[in-house]
Amino acid sequence: MAFIPRWRGTGVFLGTELRMVLHDPLAIASSALVEGILLVFVWVLARDLLPFALLGSLVYSLFLIGQFILSEAAYIRIDHRLNEMYHASPLSPEAYFLGMASGLAVGFLPTTLVLFALTLVLVPTSLAGLGAVLLVLLAVWTISASMAYTISTLFKDMKAIWPWASLIANVLGVVPPVFYPLALWPAEWRALALVLPTSAGAALAGAAVGLQPLAAGELLLAGAALGLQAAGSFAFATWWARRSAREA
Amino acid sequence: MAAVDAVPRTGRVLPAWGLIGWRWISRNPAAAIVPVLLPFLFLYFLRIISPPEYFPLAVAGAMLYTAQNVGSWCLMDAAVNRIELHLQDMFAASPLGKVRYLVGVAISNLIPAAPAILVQAILLASLRPVTAMAWAVLAGSILVIWLLFSAIGIALSTRIQSQREVWPIGNLVFSVLGILAPLYYPLSILPPAWQAVARLLPSTYAAELVQGSLGLVPLSGEAMALDAILLVAFAGAGIAMALRLYRWREP
Repeated sequence: MAFIPRWRGTGVFLGTELRMVLHDPLAIASSALVEGILLVFVWVLARDLLPFALLGSLVYSLFLIGQFILSEAAYIRIDHRLNEMYHASPLSPEAYFLGMASGLAVGFLPTTLVLFALTLVLVPTSLAGLGAVLLVLLAVWTISASMAYTISTLFKDMKAIWPWASLIANVLGVVPPVFYPLALWPAEWRALALVLPTSAGAALAGAAVGLQPLAAGELLLAGAALGLQAAGSFAFATWWARRSAREA
Repeated sequence: MAAVDAVPRTGRVLPAWGLIGWRWISRNPAAAIVPVLLPFLFLYFLRIISPPEYFPLAVAGAMLYTAQNVGSWCLMDAAVNRIELHLQDMFAASPLGKVRYLVGVAISNLIPAAPAILVQAILLASLRPVTAMAWAVLAGSILVIWLLFSAIGIALSTRIQSQREVWPIGNLVFSVLGILAPLYYPLSILPPAWQAVARLLPSTYAAELVQGSLGLVPLSGEAMALDAILLVAFAGAGIAMALRLYRWREP
């Protein structure tokens, strides 16, 4: 299949998904709740870590927006069996995946923009730093959405998804150094933190705004890990979207 | 006597709900692992960012939070039963009453959470000596919080229209209630306005009671008795409100 037709319909499905999200203002309002809670913990218990936590909350917010596709894709497929209809239509599986992911991203952006504004107030940065942070956020979202879409196709039951969604979001968001500096994470596990998408993103964003300097090797490791994971997971998810388009 | 009158109406259904809880975790390992793991992930985070002297308090708070979180699992479970499986209609048509359904779902969701509470209790005992009285206070507080939040979860589940609403509503209600109450830190370190809001939540009295009985915050006997009375009173009012919201038969 030619490259361009393969993505035709992405914009239309983005609009469809966006309308679904906008019909659910409660979901938009509550989408940044976990970040908000962790920020409250930091504000109450370790106020000096707030700049790190705010920058981390931005990274985590994009990660969670990517993760929303896990339940959304499963909801469309399991609860409504709509994906069969979509896949029987001229909409390609790749456009279905990317349209859904980007529709969710646009729909849930308002709360992230609030975090973004707060971060800019507390962590002033140069234009180049801002550009680097945006690039990191895009990579984190791409990894998360690709991973979430792939995983969602493996479930046959909505109820079984929630524990997994919760596990992925918390293991990758709460444990590694996303809301706190890399220096507080055990030194022997530092390399692991620099390859996990959330903490690598937070470390790179911290370095970009001058909040958390990284050694050249660490910068290279985190950058390469994030870049390769973003490209690899997106390529896999688009391939998998086509492969799993029709249910067995 | 009509055949329907011969159907047993008391007691026996609760072990069946326990079995449902067990079957759910035995078939879905993640469902068993997640409730155990989640409070520890938060504890790890708190251990890193907060002063070390707050850690035993955070462990006791995690036990209460785990009990409180059963409510969100009840919301999900009861919503799936009603919306996806249409099982609630079948239960409503059976001799099972709405309160026994509520307690049944609460029991079946307490089973996956029980290992977490047990491990947290072991961790707490390893951190500091816990008297028999403190264990009793902790167990009583967990029981009240579990019942209250399960009732809230199931009541909410009968009002939502689609499974898509389960996650945001559960997240909003249980996370906000969880964060407002001082489960993981002493009430005294919070700003006055926050303290005033927290005083409206039953979990605050459960937390104070537990923290006082463990000797983690200085609290007189009278203050603890008052906390116990307020906990029961607020929880009773909360359960009454949840039962009022709870819709057993669909219109």
